[in-house]
Amino acid sequence: MSRFEESAPARGGFSFDLCKRNEMLVQKGLKPSSYLKTGTTIVGLVFQDGVILGADTRATEGPIVADKNCEKIHYMAPNIYCCGAGTAADTEAVTDMVSSQLKLHRFHTGRESRVVTALTLLKSHLFSYQGHVSAALVLGGVDVTGPHLHTIYPHGSTDTLPFATMGSGSLAAMAIFESKYREGLTRDEGVKLVAEAICSGIFNDLGSGSNVDVCVITKGKREYLRNYMLPNPRTYVSEKGYSFSKKTEVLLTKITPLRELVEVIEGGDAMEE
Amino acid sequence: MGDSQYSFSLTTFSPSGKLVQIEHALTAVGSGQTSLGIKASNGVVIATEKKLPSILVDEASVQKIQTLTPNIGVVYSGMGPDSRVLVRKSRKQAEQYYRLYKEPIPVTQLVRETATVMQEFTQSGGVRPFGVSLLVAGYDDKGPQLYQVDPSGSYFSWKASAMGKNVSNAKSFLEKRYTEEMELDDAVHTAILTLKEGFEGQISGKNIEIGVIGNDRIFKVLSPSEVEDYLQEAE
Repeated sequence: MSRFEESAPARGGFSFDLCKRNEMLVQKGLKPSSYLKTGTTIVGLVFQDGVILGADTRATEGPIVADKNCEKIHYMAPNIYCCGAGTAADTEAVTDMVSSQLKLHRFHTGRESRVVTALTLLKSHLFSYQGHVSAALVLGGVDVTGPHLHTIYPHGSTDTLPFATMGSGSLAAMAIFESKYREGLTRDEGVKLVAEAICSGIFNDLGSGSNVDVCVITKGKREYLRNYMLPNPRTYVSEKGYSFSKKTEVLLTKITPLRELVEVIEGGDAMEE
Repeated sequence: MGDSQYSFSLTTFSPSGKLVQIEHALTAVGSGQTSLGIKASNGVVIATEKKLPSILVDEASVQKIQTLTPNIGVVYSGMGPDSRVLVRKSRKQAEQYYRLYKEPIPVTQLVRETATVMQEFTQSGGVRPFGVSLLVAGYDDKGPQLYQVDPSGSYFSWKASAMGKNVSNAKSFLEKRYTEEMELDDAVHTAILTLKEGFEGQISGKNIEIGVIGNDRIFKVLSPSEVEDYLQEAE
């Protein structure tokens, strides 16, 4: 990971010097640079054959929708996927890094990755950054020990649950889960419930919106259903197109080439070896 | 590695301009079990003898041919533990390359980085050169490729090569048998016949190992029963 070489302590560990400086600057009145937050609804549930993960696709930068169709369900291993809420850069970087570590681990052991391995790698990384890596994750997968679903908070604590929601739309989605979840759902029932929970987040939370992504993981198989539902299509698109009349007139176009500045030094010294 | 009593390099030049330690490393390779590789028109095959020190050793637990990435495999001749270190480093380098460029590492790049590691161990303090030569087989956008990496860190691309014991016989056999238009199955048969040339005892699916990569770009180590099938075809 990139560490600032000048201020890194002699032994490992994170240097919090810059965090102190940032807080000091904020107190002095500096506006912190805005970063892309996902302001999300992400959910997961365990059904009879495995795990289903769901996410919305809106990425926000303050009050603006920065990406109308971003991917929040990240690949960790062929049998493990992870939904990410929080700062988009943090969730992508941390899932990418752990996915890489899991791949090397698979080579060394010759075995399929386990969900608890991904869980432990993620939580120890997040804990060592003391919550400054703003990634709230829903991790789900199926391995030799069965289907697993976990939530991971930015400070590094984890929960193991049969159904979970995270992000700004988590309350709206949890309302759906709490009323309709039961053990032993079939695949279609599970997907329908996940889509319903995400839609609840999309329609009732400002930070979530656009489309529904679903990922179904079962033993030996995973289906990544990108844009499973599109409940927010553009309803009216003008066929004539738009014409914006020119309000300014171009009076004169003049191109002045820059003169080449070449100095000729007579009898200069040869370059020293 | 700088502040110990061994901060000088143990590999030093002889008056004749040779690095004696590397010569000795090559001798260690030359007394290792035979391994060879053949590049076909549509894939690469690498093979090695798997002679175990005793019949009591569980041969299923030993695997000499290793996968570095899904489309690159490697076999060695020489000291097994040294090859383990190199395989581990190479896998990590391949993964770091992927993390940085989001592209599977090209075969030449991985070979070059592995060779760099091997060279570093001939010019650093307190370490000895690796006692292995590697044969790296891969298939990427440039097609099938076969590279040999020596303890000195030099690497060459080969159409067919052999290393370890019996290398001169094996190489002359390959020179006679190799054709540019050879396909992967023919290459596997040729590899088996070459191994058979210098083999002491009865060759079987349990005492040789074969790894192949074809157009599908997935490196695979053949199971003992698959090796037996090829052995019977080659008879």
